[in-house]
Amino acid sequence: MRYGMVIDLKRCVGCNACTVICKAENGTPPGILWARVLKLESGDYPARRVSLPVLCMHCQDPPCQKACPTGATVKRPDGIVYVDTAKCVGCRYCMMTCPFQARYFNDAVRGYFPGQGLTPYEVLKYQDHPAGVVTKCHFCKHRVDQGLQPACVANCMAKARYFGDLDDSNSEVSQIIRTRRGYQLHADLGTDPSVYYLPP
Amino acid sequence: MSPKAPSPNEASIQEDRWIPSACGICYNLCGIRVRRINGTVVKIEGDPNNPAGMGRICPKGAGGGIPLVYDPNRLNVPLKRTNHKKGFDEDPGWVEISWDEALDLVTEKLQQVRREDPRKLVYSQNLMRGTAPRLLPMFAAAFGTPNSIISNGHHCGNAEHRLAGLVHGVDTSQVDFDLCNYLIVFGSGIGASAYYAYSSLTQKMADARMRGMKLVAVDPLLSPIAEKADEWLPIRPGTDGALAMAMLHVLLNEDGLYDAEYLRGGTNSTYLVGRQGRFVRDQATGKPLVWDTPSGSARPFDEVEPKDAALTGEFTVGATAVRPAFVLLQERAKEFPPERAAEITSIPASTIRRVAREFGQAARIGSTITLEGKALPYRPVATMFFKGAHGHNNAWVSSMAMKWLNLVLGAVDVPGGLLGTNPVCLGYPQTGLPHWVPQLGPDGLVMASAWHAHSARGPEMTQPWPQREPKAPERLDLLDLFAAGSGGHISVLLTASDEAQRFGIPYKAEVLINEGSNLVMSLGNTKVVAEALKKLYVINLNLFLDETAHFADVVLPMASYLEQLTPIIGWHLQHTFPAGQGSWAEYIQQPVVPLAGQRRDPSEVLIELAQRLQILPGLNAAMNHVFLLREPYQLGLEEKYAWPDICDRVFKNFYGPEHGLEWFSEHGVLSWPKKLEEVYARPFLKYRVPVYLEWFPDLGRKTQALLDKLGVKDIPTAGYEGLPGWKPCGALEAKNASHDLQAIYYRVAWHQFSSTFENPWLGEVSSVDHWADCITINRATAERKGIKDGDRIWVESVRGDRVRGRAKLSNGVHPEVVAIANNGGHWSKHMPLARGKGVFFEALLPLDWENTDPVVTVLDCDAAVRIYKAKDQETGGRGWE
Repeated sequence: MRYGMVIDLKRCVGCNACTVICKAENGTPPGILWARVLKLESGDYPARRVSLPVLCMHCQDPPCQKACPTGATVKRPDGIVYVDTAKCVGCRYCMMTCPFQARYFNDAVRGYFPGQGLTPYEVLKYQDHPAGVVTKCHFCKHRVDQGLQPACVANCMAKARYFGDLDDSNSEVSQIIRTRRGYQLHADLGTDPSVYYLPP
Repeated sequence: MSPKAPSPNEASIQEDRWIPSACGICYNLCGIRVRRINGTVVKIEGDPNNPAGMGRICPKGAGGGIPLVYDPNRLNVPLKRTNHKKGFDEDPGWVEISWDEALDLVTEKLQQVRREDPRKLVYSQNLMRGTAPRLLPMFAAAFGTPNSIISNGHHCGNAEHRLAGLVHGVDTSQVDFDLCNYLIVFGSGIGASAYYAYSSLTQKMADARMRGMKLVAVDPLLSPIAEKADEWLPIRPGTDGALAMAMLHVLLNEDGLYDAEYLRGGTNSTYLVGRQGRFVRDQATGKPLVWDTPSGSARPFDEVEPKDAALTGEFTVGATAVRPAFVLLQERAKEFPPERAAEITSIPASTIRRVAREFGQAARIGSTITLEGKALPYRPVATMFFKGAHGHNNAWVSSMAMKWLNLVLGAVDVPGGLLGTNPVCLGYPQTGLPHWVPQLGPDGLVMASAWHAHSARGPEMTQPWPQREPKAPERLDLLDLFAAGSGGHISVLLTASDEAQRFGIPYKAEVLINEGSNLVMSLGNTKVVAEALKKLYVINLNLFLDETAHFADVVLPMASYLEQLTPIIGWHLQHTFPAGQGSWAEYIQQPVVPLAGQRRDPSEVLIELAQRLQILPGLNAAMNHVFLLREPYQLGLEEKYAWPDICDRVFKNFYGPEHGLEWFSEHGVLSWPKKLEEVYARPFLKYRVPVYLEWFPDLGRKTQALLDKLGVKDIPTAGYEGLPGWKPCGALEAKNASHDLQAIYYRVAWHQFSSTFENPWLGEVSSVDHWADCITINRATAERKGIKDGDRIWVESVRGDRVRGRAKLSNGVHPEVVAIANNGGHWSKHMPLARGKGVFFEALLPLDWENTDPVVTVLDCDAAVRIYKAKDQETGGRGWE
């Protein structure tokens, strides 16, 4: 069992619904975007552009885990990599080793309305976002554990995201990686990401 | 199954509910479900039971609501202005007052103008609430005023609405994404970043592209749709009509690629045109004549087999030389050979020819497809256009050109083509409601049956066919004079410069009820709008003390879409709901959190005001009319009803006693499958659509005669043409050696006009996007002007209006263009998160007659500009001058 995500760059319209639905689902504080979309423009005028949604790649040989001195970064048997905030001491070594800049340091409890306190939503959600720890995408493990897809997958308007078991060669994600020649970002670094991309 | 709440420990959860509702961030009203834990909204998702959105929701809908509900900067109490001098730099001197005092003040003012002349009241409504049936237009009808300002009116459909009415018999149009194989999009973000049914069409567009549909995007900017297109055609803004005309020329005159059978039987192409562009008509019946080839004679159009009617040729009827209307279209297209269009548009002639040819061939003229056992014409191609292409003061002729590309190939309201947004509705099976079917009108042409029926805007959005006669104006938007117009900025023009008298209107606007529209930021040149607001007593129902509230006299704190009740019944189906195969749905927008502070549901406020003004019978009558209420649900005229009771009646009236407010509150949405004859109207209905609008030149002459009588000389009526074409827009004409660029507006997926900039989640997306908060400039152009990436620059119009922002260089924008996303650059100190974010595009737009297309009353939404670096000390402030 190894959970993985496939992002179809041909379908993606770069709308950032993933960025926002992730925030709504997980209540991440300001400046912390577990999911986001990079826009890569290339060529002379008239140029082309590719929208590249990124998140934690849930590497199967995660350098962040190796760098963590307290065991706060955990790889579950199903491949999901998450931060156990109770164990994190905020040293941020993991952030330096992550090749995908997928990790964020939550330096203080801070709401979206500066100087005006926390909203009721933030009060509730920030129970999961203590200050002084590193934070990142956990494939919406609370949803996955109940048989649901991660929020960004379930909501993607262009239906550009697939989620499933990479170890099962008959799963939708495995099949689509084969037929559409899916690839990992920075495969050369040898971290074996669990997020695959389909070419635009 | 719902995911477990990630946060509070389970023992502390007393309540965990998903509540079905409708999004209210934009006009599309997608179905949502809202999760509430212990009274706090924690998540908004697409409602999988609602075909409006199909279970997925755009970034605006996903993130628009939660920060809006809990924004500490929202209005909570009524406010009264104490400084009666109004201006951008005047402090209004707000004092808090009670609702009673506020309503007393407002009632007194309204009673005064109602005694003098009820037409002195003007109303305006946030466009985001416009496609739900809102009470304000009904209140205005009861009050006795026809006068409104359409917020963002110039970013609205105008020409498209009128042409959709003439061609599809309904308000708007969409692409049949299930079957289309070749789509050309002119200046729209359909299925990518904006447009109607956005959450649904993005799914359908992606599916269509994966299926192999070729997508060609005509856009000055490498916009999201251009990014996804197989081919991006960067075009000079305002010239889309010229490109479409050249493509028509290739199809009609060079390659002979057109659907002759459809043109003969389904349009007025064969009607014979004689002197002065008028049809020759049967003396007895007045019906237009066509040339019956077998008999060699002219006969009424409906007495000749379509196959026998001549499409081309020259004939003589009596002593009059006549030609079929189609020949006039061919000749008009000849004025635009691709070589000429290439100079106008900056798109190479060879590209124009190739794309036109591919498009024509992909139409598979003559083919059929069998659906549900029925063989239907199959034309899997479509062109569609929206604001980028038709937001110019050449909108009328240009829009015809873009729409006609579908017409000549027969790709209208058939499988694969351009579909009207649900022109036929046969109703929920158990009640037969709602129900509309286009009717056969004069000259055999289609007549929209439910044209804006549920919007309570009947008088101002008169049926496109038969065309109403223009008359001397009595309305401030002049839609009685400009009888093909659609509303927008004209009331503001008349008010700002005291022009009502010039048009013979015997009164002036005196009071404005404004339900949440930020007119100062959304109607073109802000100084002109401000002049208008200074002359009015402004009653503002609002969420925030925004830039328009700054000019208000009384401000009333309003519920947001997550705090109010609205039945989503009627008009949305013809305007913003997904077209094509699928299901119908009517649904509810309902409160998910109680009203904080002293906020009130605007419907309740208007009912209360109507009672105080003693116009409740009129309001009840208007609701009976708009909601088509029949016994036993009809409202008694004298009685005051609570708003939930009215909603209960509306639901039961349409869907039977078992489907009242309680049912809709629990289930949210009632959905039933569409029938084939509702989706593909044309093969099932015997009507024609016009390729030649014979009556239009005459409409122009009559309008001109009325203007002459009034002594108004500065409004050109030359644009009342009956055939497609192109002429330069105001910005193209104003371009000169120093002002050598055009500023254009575009929309990102995560903002709605100016109304979402206070939202910190959506603002954060802009802050990590390279372009959204900046001014996008072609790299080579910027370098030529000595501007580097990140420089702070001014964009200045020919008239000296200017806006400031950061330059972002790109090879994804036309060399003659600067592009600005949405309407940012708020300056209200009461919206601290919006303040200073993005760039205030609207300030650049001239708001005047010269840049208005009087035919469809649209403003030129681009401007001729120059750019230069801002000085170091030029920071802060309003960001525009």
